[in-house]
Amino acid sequence: MTLTVAAPATRRITIIQGEYRVTDDPNVCFTTILGSCAAACIRDPEAKVGGLNHFLLPGDPQRAAGKDAERYGVYLMELLINGLMQKGAKRSRLEAKLFGGARTMMGLSDIGAMNRAFAEEFLQNEGIALMGGHLGGDRGRRIEYWPVSGRARQVLFSSHAKVETMPPPPPAASTQLGDVDLF
Amino acid sequence: MFQKNMRVLIVDDTSTSRMLIRDALEQLGMTQIASANDGEEALKAMVASPSHLVISDLNMPKLDGLGLLKAIRAHPPTKKTPFIILTGKSDRAVIEQAAKLGVNNYITKPFTLASLKTGIEAVVGKLQ
Repeated sequence: MTLTVAAPATRRITIIQGEYRVTDDPNVCFTTILGSCAAACIRDPEAKVGGLNHFLLPGDPQRAAGKDAERYGVYLMELLINGLMQKGAKRSRLEAKLFGGARTMMGLSDIGAMNRAFAEEFLQNEGIALMGGHLGGDRGRRIEYWPVSGRARQVLFSSHAKVETMPPPPPAASTQLGDVDLF
Repeated sequence: MFQKNMRVLIVDDTSTSRMLIRDALEQLGMTQIASANDGEEALKAMVASPSHLVISDLNMPKLDGLGLLKAIRAHPPTKKTPFIILTGKSDRAVIEQAAKLGVNNYITKPFTLASLKTGIEAVVGKLQ
């Protein structure tokens, strides 16, 4: 007789604009859809806790040109880091992956560039190691992030193809499969 | 009446937040601004050279905002120093705890220049 033990099912949690979530559950996958917005995936590999936030797209270009976009980012970064620390993470061990910040609409101010610059500068200021990710471009993307393992997957959108739900890939180093990138 | 050249101490473990708060205070005309990375560092600074106003985050390593507030209220030279909490956390229980410890105001992030100004003026009077 052969006994088979089913692997625990992945629990997908969607993070929308302006939200953040933290977990220490290895079966949780955070997913979010980004255009010019940016998402930071941050974790403490030793405490085995991680999380993801999604910076809001600033609505008013006049305000976005000032400090508001940055504030939103700072606010969500701070909430995410505090949430991680409350679950046992240490600042000195945090590592991050950044996604998003695309220029999806030509002719308008490049909010994506502001989000990219902010996210990278924030990590640098706070001494958080940037381990990977994918910023910029001109297409939206869907991100899937397994916070405990740090595995991330990106599906870039195209104007021609609809993105279909795919099963999680096996753990692997950074590999590129067409429009699906693993980080 | 609060003079703009009085000393203000910013306490926040996120350096980007400290920079933003400093930037906002400078826009409000303040010139004497010090900062600390956490409550422990802030407490040392307050004992060595008390500031006239403390603007502190809540969640910080070593000594958090409530711990700092308690320590400042227990130290005679600083027990009446205006203390404002500026945080992303808006938990009612925490606000009530801060009130019991003698916090003067509670401002939630993300803040605007106007909300920061209003929050400060509610405690120290109109900025001159």
